[in-house]
Amino acid sequence: MNQEHMMHEKHKSIDGHHHDTPVEDKEISDWKKRLIGAWILVIPIAIIMLSDRIFGFNFFMGLPDWVMILSLLIIGFPVIFIFGWQTIKAGVRGLFTFYFNMDSLISLGSIVAYATGIFAIFFNIQDYSGISAMIMGFYITGKYVEAKARGRASQEIKKLLELGAKKALVLRGKEEIEILIEEVKIDDILIVKPGEKIPTDGIVFKGESSVDESMVTGESLPVDKTKGSNVIGATINQDGILYIKATKVGSDTFLSHIIKLVEEAQGSKVPIQVMADKITGIFVPAILVLAALTFAGWFYFTKDLGKAIGTAVAVLVIACPCALGLATPTALMVGSGMGAKRGILIRKGEAIQTMKEVKFVVFDKTGTITKGKPEVTDIFSVSGESYLLEIAASVEKLSEHPIAKAIVAKYKGKKYRDVSSFKILRGRGVEGKMGKKSIIIGNQTLMKEKNIPVEKFEKTIRGFEENGKTTMIVVEDKKVIGIIAVADAIKEDSVIAITELNRQNYKTIMITGDNEITANAIAKQAGIKEVIANVLPEDKAKKVSELQRKGMVAFVGDGINDAPALKQSNVGIAMGTGTDIAIEAGDIVLARGSLRGVVASINLSKATFKKIKQNLFWAFAYNIIAIPLAVMGFLHPVIAEIAMSTSSITVVTNANLLRRKKI
Amino acid sequence: MKKIKMEISGMHCASCAANIERSLKKIPGIKGITVSLLLKKGTVECEDNVREEEVKHAVKRAGYNVERMSRE
Repeated sequence: MNQEHMMHEKHKSIDGHHHDTPVEDKEISDWKKRLIGAWILVIPIAIIMLSDRIFGFNFFMGLPDWVMILSLLIIGFPVIFIFGWQTIKAGVRGLFTFYFNMDSLISLGSIVAYATGIFAIFFNIQDYSGISAMIMGFYITGKYVEAKARGRASQEIKKLLELGAKKALVLRGKEEIEILIEEVKIDDILIVKPGEKIPTDGIVFKGESSVDESMVTGESLPVDKTKGSNVIGATINQDGILYIKATKVGSDTFLSHIIKLVEEAQGSKVPIQVMADKITGIFVPAILVLAALTFAGWFYFTKDLGKAIGTAVAVLVIACPCALGLATPTALMVGSGMGAKRGILIRKGEAIQTMKEVKFVVFDKTGTITKGKPEVTDIFSVSGESYLLEIAASVEKLSEHPIAKAIVAKYKGKKYRDVSSFKILRGRGVEGKMGKKSIIIGNQTLMKEKNIPVEKFEKTIRGFEENGKTTMIVVEDKKVIGIIAVADAIKEDSVIAITELNRQNYKTIMITGDNEITANAIAKQAGIKEVIANVLPEDKAKKVSELQRKGMVAFVGDGINDAPALKQSNVGIAMGTGTDIAIEAGDIVLARGSLRGVVASINLSKATFKKIKQNLFWAFAYNIIAIPLAVMGFLHPVIAEIAMSTSSITVVTNANLLRRKKI
Repeated sequence: MKKIKMEISGMHCASCAANIERSLKKIPGIKGITVSLLLKKGTVECEDNVREEEVKHAVKRAGYNVERMSRE
């Protein structure tokens, strides 16, 4: 087994886990069993305790007190020590190891209350044994409801985890064999029939079809696929048969990356929660001390042991670190899940907090606002168009630049001339030698640099540029022989997205290597307010940092060329390009190349952050109000327990309400 | 530096995550710790000489169990 293979094995063991029984479902069903068991006993206890008030007489009338107390102790025992065993076990262990948790409070509260019953048989002391069973009953109920709500909070992620195909139809020789997805290897030819899931990432080898990619990219329209197209695993083939060659398997697939991103984001922290986390860290020991002080204080001043115990128990069970601890992560989970469903991957929790401070939204031009596929639109030649194109294409053929590719694509001829001493002049153009002739192709900056007069063509160039076209001047032996204008069309939804951002009072800025005239023309078409032109690729990050002196900057660009600018900005939004997601570069990654995703991610971040703030407010407010009330003896222990359970349920439910927000 | 990821069972409240973080912090050579109550997962970044057994033990000490562990 080679190393790479071993890595896959390792990853499989973590990722594979999600596909067997979900831990959460088991947790919910466990709590449900405990809940039913507990209430079968808690209801009779409640009836016995309240029978005076309900029926006007007591079942135990005329019998000695200890009969009723003993009955309550016996009925209550299983509630605390069988159905509540998990809680008691963890809680008591926490008390001894000094790793206190929520259960420590509940355990101590219910055990102390239960013990009063035992003492009450022999001494004259108030009996809280029935109360102790009720506390445990409500605690279990609260845990069950909370577990269910938490399950809802993670529903989008669960769907993602279940999205992957389980099986694949592979072509081996001439045979079609069905194999498990884990057995698919790179370069396997897979057959995908209409209506079936594409098993893994690959490239179309044969066949034509359209594919529904909405589940991973959020793109609602089916995407056409022909030979050579990339396909994404877990998307659904619509109408034709596709033969695909697997290019990525296991943990390297697009879907695996998305899942990894989402999970990491959910484990990440939002700065606002630091305070809450600090408090939850010391919460339980602080409450234990407070409960002891409450007991001592009440006993000292009232000499009423029963009341002192009851009040201390109320303090123990009312305090709940869970609402504080769950406030941020649940909202983040719901928010990032909602995003993932729409192809918006929030990588860092921090981004949603920073987002609300953002003033400037800076867009890279090529491939972000525009399609990134420039085409030759106009040719102005001095000495014949076909000659001009032949010369230009022969030189540009050696460059990988999108503009070079556009020129080569325009050239219909088959013959290319030999070019020597080829050089790329970054951000300006190219040069090379063709026999004895020197050829330069580039923008006006390059012409100035090489001392080539272009005054005669000024009007032509300006005409192209004012229409948002990039011009390449072709020079043969220091003489201009023609001008090629290239335009990169704006993506259909760029205008809608930018207009919306303008409406929300963001300053929209476009950054580009184009000169000002061209850049301004494109910006105008796209609705962009401000332009930073003539920027070399490596200077983008510097321009972002200059802007940052005036306010927070969100940078939108592709994750490959714009990585430094994405890192420099306060919120980097990386646009996905097909099947590759630039994972490391952005704080937020968009699986689909539409600028609407930028608007959606801004709205989503703001809405999620608002939820977090609400949740933290409620969690703090609850503890700040409820704990003093309990200390002052205003709350009956059972009421205290109900309030406590309600607090964490409220927080999780409120997080789930985020889904109502339209983004 | 290496990264250890684990699935942890037994967490059920916010203090639990804090407990595990507190216990892990005591291991010398541990840098970044994140424990997520919701995901029931934890990640530690640590020096290469930190043994996985130590990490497991620290989680256990706080009263929880490591179900699965993987290195990255």
